[in-house]
Amino acid sequence: MSPPALKITNLRKVYRRGTVAVEDISLSIPEGEFFGFLGPNGAGKSTTIHCVTGIAEPSAGTIEIFGMDAVKDYREARRLVGLCPQEFNVDPFANPRQIVDWMGGYFGMGAAQRKSRVDFLMERFELIPHQKKQFRELSGGLKRRVVLARALVHDPQLIILDEPTAGVDVELRRVLWRYLAEINKDGKTILLTSHYLEEVERLCRQIAIVSKGRIAREGTKDEIAGGPGGLEQAYLAATGAEADHVAGQ
Amino acid sequence: MIMEANRKLGVNWIGLNTMVRREVSRMMRVPIQAFVAPWISALLFIFIFGFVVGGRIDQIGGHRYLEFVLPGIVMMNVVNAAFLQSSSAIYFSRFIRFIEETLVAPLSYAEMIAGSLSVVVLRASVTGVGILVMGVCFGAAHVQSWPLLLFWLVSVSAVFGLLGIIVGLWSKSFEQLNMPVVFFLTPLSMVGGVFNTVEMLPAWLRWLAWANPFFYFINGIRGAMIGFDETPPGLGIGLTLISLVVLGGTVWRLYAKGYGLRE
Repeated sequence: MSPPALKITNLRKVYRRGTVAVEDISLSIPEGEFFGFLGPNGAGKSTTIHCVTGIAEPSAGTIEIFGMDAVKDYREARRLVGLCPQEFNVDPFANPRQIVDWMGGYFGMGAAQRKSRVDFLMERFELIPHQKKQFRELSGGLKRRVVLARALVHDPQLIILDEPTAGVDVELRRVLWRYLAEINKDGKTILLTSHYLEEVERLCRQIAIVSKGRIAREGTKDEIAGGPGGLEQAYLAATGAEADHVAGQ
Repeated sequence: MIMEANRKLGVNWIGLNTMVRREVSRMMRVPIQAFVAPWISALLFIFIFGFVVGGRIDQIGGHRYLEFVLPGIVMMNVVNAAFLQSSSAIYFSRFIRFIEETLVAPLSYAEMIAGSLSVVVLRASVTGVGILVMGVCFGAAHVQSWPLLLFWLVSVSAVFGLLGIIVGLWSKSFEQLNMPVVFFLTPLSMVGGVFNTVEMLPAWLRWLAWANPFFYFINGIRGAMIGFDETPPGLGIGLTLISLVVLGGTVWRLYAKGYGLRE
């Protein structure tokens, strides 16, 4: 039996100034799953993702990526992960082609392999007319496409998307949904965080809701969204937020 | 693919090469700042100290004043280029957060440090060689020992590249980033024997030269270029190698701890 794509056990993250961002999170995502990771701002979603990808140092707990320890065997583990972060952590003076090509290089892809993959991603995300412009000159939607292409350049097995459609127009959102569904069908494991519940409901088969640094609820989409009020009601109940009486009418 | 990833990775040469390509590309966006400014500054030094002032100064150790000063001018600019390259590269990538691109990649700490230092040595060497070429044009550049000249260019670049990395990781503002240059690099290099021998200093002030690390770097490159040494050659080489080991170990430790890099 193959190990889970991602297994987090008792993860805790306390920042240097004492802020507890993640109290205690454990979850297991099987290979090939499309996993929705929901929660309000500040619940600990991005911090968890940062611990998985090496941007943050876990204070306690273990993280395994396809059975490899993400801290001890970090180089081997990171080869399998692609991250599309919530914020644009990109050199603003570089162009999309360079940004994606450099990332492929960091992951050890040879020049010919990089060229063909970058060509494919530029085409797929309709970036060809913009590939020589500086990143800072691009619109918000185009910037998002570049960051997505960068996350996918090395063809990772586990794709982590931290609010990939925030501030993105409907057209790109649909392009992205189609692409994600397609690569998930091809066997890629996807971890998606989003504040758009309809997006999660449409794409994900498993869902975890995080609140105050802990998993408040976890299950299949049908288990969580199947009750009265659907996913929104389940989300509000799990996070302790009150339903809007106007929306509820 | 997953089975393949289970193999322990060797050196990520392509990743290392990409770090260098990327940083060279960033450096070439500002060629005036990176190369033209230090060359013009060196040219002014050569002109003023070689012709305006130098003509009124006697020979030092059998060398014209310009020949005596030139190695120090080379070293001052090598030090500045090395420090500015690494400190600004690290700080800028932290500030904009694209340093995360290397943090999420399968690059070891040693590869990250080696990638940064390769570009440091490249920039500092191109700066230094450019000044040497100017020296040739003024008939003042001599090289007694190419291996020693290479040693001083590369090792001093690496020392100040490592210091620059530490400052780049520590700085939380552009103000902090510039502090070491204003309060440490410029004053110490100016009084490190670029323009004078230790003997020219009053006796009570000579300890300042012996205690100044820049003195050994400048003395070393001067020895390699014109054969004029004020200390036993091994002393400067030993101090430089010790500095490299200590600073290299410190930077590796900071990377391993994620200081200034990871949340």
